[in-house]
Amino acid sequence: MSFVLDGVGLTHANGFVALEGIALRAERGERIALIGPSGAGKTTLLSLLGTAVRPTAGSASVLDFGLFSGSTATIAQTAPSRALRARIGTVHQSPPIPGRQRVVTAVLAGRLGRWPAWKGLLSLIYPQDIAGAQAALARLDLADKCFERCDRLSGGQLQRVGIARVLYQQPDLMLADEPVSALDPALAQSTVRLLAADAEARGATLVASLHAVDLALANFPRIVGIKNGRIAFDRPAAKVDDALLHDLYASEGQDLPMLANATRFAPAANPNPAANDAASRAACC
Amino acid sequence: MAARPHDPAARSRLIGTLTALVVLWPLFQAAEVRPGALFDPANLKVIGNFLGGFLPPETGREFLGYLGTATLETLAIATAGMALAFCLAVPLGYLASGAARERPTLNPLTRGLLTILRGIPELVWALVFVRVFGLGPAAGVLALGLTYGGMLAKVYAEILESVDPAPAQALRRSGAGRPLAILYGLLPQASKELASYTVYRWECAIRASVVMGFVGAGGLGQLMDQAMKMLNGGEAASILLTFMMLVLAADALSGLLRKGLDTPPAPRATPFGWRSALLALALPLAILASFRGLNIDFTALFSTDAARSIGEFLGGFFPPDLSAEWLRKVGKGLWETLAISIVGTLLAAVAGLLLALPRPHAPFGVLLNALRSVPELVWATITALAVGLGPFAGALALALHTTGVLGRLYAEALDNTPPTPARALKLAGAPAGLPFLYGTLPAALPQLIAYTLYRWEMNIRMAAILGFVGAGGLGQLLYFELSLFHYAQASTVIAAMLLLSIAVDQASAWLRRRLG
Repeated sequence: MSFVLDGVGLTHANGFVALEGIALRAERGERIALIGPSGAGKTTLLSLLGTAVRPTAGSASVLDFGLFSGSTATIAQTAPSRALRARIGTVHQSPPIPGRQRVVTAVLAGRLGRWPAWKGLLSLIYPQDIAGAQAALARLDLADKCFERCDRLSGGQLQRVGIARVLYQQPDLMLADEPVSALDPALAQSTVRLLAADAEARGATLVASLHAVDLALANFPRIVGIKNGRIAFDRPAAKVDDALLHDLYASEGQDLPMLANATRFAPAANPNPAANDAASRAACC
Repeated sequence: MAARPHDPAARSRLIGTLTALVVLWPLFQAAEVRPGALFDPANLKVIGNFLGGFLPPETGREFLGYLGTATLETLAIATAGMALAFCLAVPLGYLASGAARERPTLNPLTRGLLTILRGIPELVWALVFVRVFGLGPAAGVLALGLTYGGMLAKVYAEILESVDPAPAQALRRSGAGRPLAILYGLLPQASKELASYTVYRWECAIRASVVMGFVGAGGLGQLMDQAMKMLNGGEAASILLTFMMLVLAADALSGLLRKGLDTPPAPRATPFGWRSALLALALPLAILASFRGLNIDFTALFSTDAARSIGEFLGGFFPPDLSAEWLRKVGKGLWETLAISIVGTLLAAVAGLLLALPRPHAPFGVLLNALRSVPELVWATITALAVGLGPFAGALALALHTTGVLGRLYAEALDNTPPTPARALKLAGAPAGLPFLYGTLPAALPQLIAYTLYRWEMNIRMAAILGFVGAGGLGQLLYFELSLFHYAQASTVIAAMLLLSIAVDQASAWLRRRLG
């Protein structure tokens, strides 16, 4: 069993109900797409599976490790959960990679959870598995960028570096939060196919939230529709019909979100207004 | 795959590391870094006895009276010095700035004057003025006024040049004169930054006026100097505590004033409310009280007698001693000064980063504030006891003060770094410490380096005067020669300080252009 959620709910400290009454289970090697309007709770569900947040109601277990519901929202990093976390890989919507890091280091960081600490430290001085990083990058057509700095890449390339990191990590449970939001339609199609093929080849479980409905239907055997923090439907891709989808996206107008008309966005820069003030302060006396 | 893949950057990294070691080695030699000196039994005994005397701090009625007077005197010197500096900076900044001019000019004359005013450290001005006007706060006020006048003028000029020039140009084209074009077109954009910088400088002036007491210009520094010379730990402890409280209070007041700049003006015909009225009343009163309290006899300062004695005194500085032997000595002093600044800054960067890392900040924040509030020169008097006179004492003193400053800035920069990369790695199971190295540090590093370079720039100037209390470098040479009335030699050292300051200015402007 890859994960089991039973009556899981998550209520934020400010009273906002992000998830409610979620019952979902996945066998090892299943591939599931989460679809639904924005703000429905897809990202929260993925963070819950990624052990980033703890459910406030119900019971959950991920990779046979129980996550008990409790009042604190985050899980303290303890030894067993570190071992668990090394087996979970997440593709984030905006890649969590510092701009000044080199691509090779960013990819190798995927295995920090498995490597002994000394190897992680050594890898900062000289990359410890260049061949491995290159192999992962080659699958995303980025082999030539191995030693570039990440801030020299385009938004789409950076997103694929984030995916290469997770491929390199080889997790048992792959989570992907809008993994192709910054890619053009053709690249998005081939990248999602790559994620699915990788999961299938390794017998890993893949759960991805996708904005484009056609992408989800074409690549995932099982589709879970989410709306207002609840599961709207959970059925094989073949049994998802237009009426069901229009009902799911009722709040977003007439058209279903498709790959061709997907709105793309680049990760926003993070300007630091405090920096100038502090710099003038440093210059003082 | 034929050959094992290898990292193309490895070779340049290795070369860079080796070069850094090769460059740093002689610098550490020149700064006479001997960690063993910290544990030398004789030194340990001296510093142990001294620090042992810290408890309890001196609280005798008579001493507290002195302490109160000295504190007030320090505040008055800072305020009066700033008033003088402001009066100097407004016209000079106006002349030096290219803002609101029809065609840009470089103003070599004004800019040159400003370079000389701020290029010579205030402590050197103070030392010189003490020779002319005798011991007392007058020398401190004049020294502050000149140096800070130069600094303020330069920064005012630059701030006016940095804002959008279009409004002022439009006014000029419709017939307004330059002063009005600045008042109507540039000042509204620049006023907050100008005021904020002036308040910062006042905060700095308090620290500087503490230090000037060491050359006999009155205030807390003079009291500290006496306590150190008599190795009176109890008195030193009381004075240090007073420093800290004074600096923290100035910090808080300046924070409050700058926050006040953010409040939008009231929608009335006159935007000035009770706060402005209070300030308009308090400021002249404070300045007036400062001058009255210091009892400076300005008529004596500007009399023909004084002018003659200044002339004679300055005449003694010319021509500077340019003999090969003396130049070699000054060159060695320069090198030592550079070494002290680099070693001190490096030590501080390492210690500051270590103190900035732990979460929560609180206990370390107190330590950083304490380190920061004691000026370098005061630290130098203490480190000189711990490791003996010489450049190592100077490097340690710089390191102690700079650790406080950098640690606080580093902590701020790290807090402002996007947390997502490190969090993602933590969620992927990375062991403790590695999420920081892989996720946070790469993003924060440019800022940390920029802060360190800024501070190094400050520290080069500071290293030049630490020698006044026997901590090596150019300052030691200058103090020595001045106390022997060897003015020709002293003048060469002052020229060297000026050159060093100009070189640092140019180098840091170049570096910032490259990094920015």
